[in-house]
Amino acid sequence: MAGFAAPTGVAPPPGAHHRTPGLLAWIILSPLVLWLLLFVVAPTLMLTAVSFAERDALGRIVWNFSLQNYFRAFDWVWLKILFQSLYYAFLTTVICMAVGYPAAYCIGRAPERWRGILLMLVMVPFWTSFLIRTYAWITILSKEGIVNSQMISAGIFTEPISLLYSPFAIVLGLVYNFLPFMILPIYTSVEKLDNAMIEAAYDLGAGPLRAFSQVIIPLTRPGIAAGAMLVFVPSIAMFAITTLMGGGTNPMIGEVIFKQFTSGRNQPFGAALGTILLLVFILTLWLARSQRVKEE
Amino acid sequence: MKKTTLLLSALAAFALPATTHAAPNKNLNIYCWSEYIPQAVIDRFAKETGTKVTVENYASNEEMLSKLAAGGGAYDIIQPSEYVMEALVKEKFLHPIDRAKIPNLKNIAPQFLNLAFDPGNKFSVPFMAGTVGIVVNTDLIKTEIRGFNDVFKPENKGNIVVLDDAREIVAWALLANGMGVNQITDKNLNKIKPTLEKWLPLVKVYDSDSPKTALLNGDVAVGVVWGGEGAILLNKNKKFRWIIPAEGSHMFIDSLAIPKAAKNVESAEEFMNFILRPEISKEISEEFPYLNPNLAARALMTKKELENPASFPTDEEMKKMQIFRDIGTQASEIEEIVTTLKAQ
Repeated sequence: MAGFAAPTGVAPPPGAHHRTPGLLAWIILSPLVLWLLLFVVAPTLMLTAVSFAERDALGRIVWNFSLQNYFRAFDWVWLKILFQSLYYAFLTTVICMAVGYPAAYCIGRAPERWRGILLMLVMVPFWTSFLIRTYAWITILSKEGIVNSQMISAGIFTEPISLLYSPFAIVLGLVYNFLPFMILPIYTSVEKLDNAMIEAAYDLGAGPLRAFSQVIIPLTRPGIAAGAMLVFVPSIAMFAITTLMGGGTNPMIGEVIFKQFTSGRNQPFGAALGTILLLVFILTLWLARSQRVKEE
Repeated sequence: MKKTTLLLSALAAFALPATTHAAPNKNLNIYCWSEYIPQAVIDRFAKETGTKVTVENYASNEEMLSKLAAGGGAYDIIQPSEYVMEALVKEKFLHPIDRAKIPNLKNIAPQFLNLAFDPGNKFSVPFMAGTVGIVVNTDLIKTEIRGFNDVFKPENKGNIVVLDDAREIVAWALLANGMGVNQITDKNLNKIKPTLEKWLPLVKVYDSDSPKTALLNGDVAVGVVWGGEGAILLNKNKKFRWIIPAEGSHMFIDSLAIPKAAKNVESAEEFMNFILRPEISKEISEEFPYLNPNLAARALMTKKELENPASFPTDEEMKKMQIFRDIGTQASEIEEIVTTLKAQ
């Protein structure tokens, strides 16, 4: 993830010139480099290699070069599932931004002694296991759950409605789980916001709306970009929520890959789908980057 | 079938290593399903034999298979289902068992021995079996349900939970079209496609780990689930009814086996014999009410447990049960067919 977030988070300071890192820098960096090599580069290379292989009846990899997995992958079904996953990830990112930005802004502009507590409140739910939180949502949303029973006793619903196992539940689950990843980077940007700039905008005659859209948003943009990436990328492949809260009726790309690796006993095909997903990520990042470079 | 979530098994990892107080000079590494062997049973074995037991869990047969096939882990006991056992026997992955060391094998009902996946039980001893059947919430569904064709009817749309298992779903469609669960040929798959096209859009929830949840919460009214899950529902509320599909159904048999690479074969055999003891087997059934193949254990069980139709099918129903055979590379195609129809 560090590799994805870094280019969006830090803009080079004006007048910075490139220096070759010294020996000490390499020593300090070595754990990170080693980590990246072992857990990012090596698995990616393995995945790519496996995607060109075949498998036997037990699911063991047979090292015969074959393009068959890729031919099979370019079928409308997988593309449709991929687009659907991208759509859900996009929706999640937009909602996280709409909800997360005001929250992050308020926390970042709050009196300093409050900030720590407010940030803590964002994080507290995440001290509980992911699975327990998801099961809690199942209890809340089910037909005999808290929401339905309260709505019925308040007279708003006449009979229980199906909240769980729906696209609504999927998006809710995704937003709930990824919201902090949006709030934290935006908060970091907001905290660094120079009050003088905002005051200058007002002095020069900008109304609140204009000051927000032309000064505050551009200044907090690194946080927004980092947050969007941190929410969008993991949402695409997240399948635990879609299966538990969505009922598994809308297959997502992460789930499809997982199933080919397991019950399909076809690691090469799963690897081919995984490699295609990786290429989609790279393409998205590259497009986002070239867009930014053009603007600068 | 005890396919409690992959993630749950990760949680369980915290509770796992069952250490003993006795200075252990014997070791046993068990690789088994999550939610299948009670911790108390493992602790008792460790204490009684002075063995240091470590347990690792898996959530699907294929997860176990891929780990074994990749040569990972030195396990002494594994717990595959019948069709994976067949593949492991065929590929010579298993260590033959010494029947003299496992006298308790006599407790197992003959109908669970000498089956096609391991003729003569050279490599495996049965652990638990179970059926797949229909659970109906009779408060919500008043019409009579006898088989798959009654479950997958338009009026039940959005009210159905099924196992999230492509092989199972395809097997039901084969049965509904009068074919056997193992008659998986391209021709037959084409024949059952219209059935699946009709069925799958009616489903609300796919869940293999805990299909009972959606039924208990009232989110769905009918389900096709593992017998063990059905038995728990029947114990919880009288409104649930269990039906073995008129078209027939799948019976699974999970057995214990010793991989060839095992380092502690003697302890593994000792464990097999221990598990087959009547009182131990009964204890397992109390916690996980599957179809217990152990006749001596059944003699110790309560009338209520034995009369749970989701645990113990009648002799008549047993005749309609079919056992899965290994289908090798076709597993991937079956996965694709079901995924395609889900995404339609």
